[in-house]
Amino acid sequence: MIRPTRDPATIRVGDALPAREQRFTQVDLVAYGAATWDWHRLHYDLEYARTKKLPGTLVDGQAFGAVFARAALDWAGPRAFIARLGFKMKSMAFAGDTLIARGEVTAVRALDDGVHLVTLAQRLTNGERVCAEATTEVRVPAPAGR
Amino acid sequence: MALLTDELRAWIGREVHYPAREELGRASIRYFALAMGDDNPLYVDDAYAQAAGYPSVIAPPTLVCETCQYAHRPPDEDGYIGHEWHLPVPDARMIRAGNDYEFMRPVLPTDRISVTWTLADIAERSSSRGGTQLFVSSVATYRDAAGAVVAINRETLVYQPLGAQ
Repeated sequence: MIRPTRDPATIRVGDALPAREQRFTQVDLVAYGAATWDWHRLHYDLEYARTKKLPGTLVDGQAFGAVFARAALDWAGPRAFIARLGFKMKSMAFAGDTLIARGEVTAVRALDDGVHLVTLAQRLTNGERVCAEATTEVRVPAPAGR
Repeated sequence: MALLTDELRAWIGREVHYPAREELGRASIRYFALAMGDDNPLYVDDAYAQAAGYPSVIAPPTLVCETCQYAHRPPDEDGYIGHEWHLPVPDARMIRAGNDYEFMRPVLPTDRISVTWTLADIAERSSSRGGTQLFVSSVATYRDAAGAVVAINRETLVYQPLGAQ
């Protein structure tokens, strides 16, 4: 039994995605770097990071894309497809930070075959600071048989 | 002093192609999901993925744009093996400004993905911290074995001078 995909007919502008927490420990940064074939010292070598005038080892900004995508797909369901995800960095995050992803629906547009294109505005916050902002377009199909 | 020199301007339009070295592979997909703590069964369970309408497990959407799996060289002095223009910008710190991903279809473990990077633009803009910084825009195009585009990644990096602020 698979999780249901959200019925696009029920999606309204202003609907909120559940907040999702993502913690980035030093172990998480090493795991992410290895999993993406990225061995850059910024993500694990504190002395090196300090030579770049950074206070800690840096969370790879590209990981924020994965956090936004996961929050969007966990909300939309397994048949949904992300067609576009654009994010802008607002502040840096470092090992030990816990980020929270939030978002809401800003547009819903019917395409062909009952598929709806749902636009999300997503944010990643790091305490009081905004870390990154995203605009995400998700294609959500109509339930089978409609 | 202007950061955007004629030497740098000449880099605009350069292109580098990285051929696929192997299939993306199930291990890469599971590794990425595990590293992100993402327990979505679409990435590890064929039966689940098929019930959702896919031919097999699929890759998390942004993996193809985040991985340097296309790379095949020893690490540079920063430890990096992925694509880098190595622009002649002395004593600068490179910071990500943003990425804009476009996806055409889900990527499968059997896909052989090649990547072409193009240096789209270099612009010098004033920094809120005083002085100026360089905005370098690149486009990475990801293609499958048939040559069809599966994803496009428009990326902007900022080179911030590390000298006196």
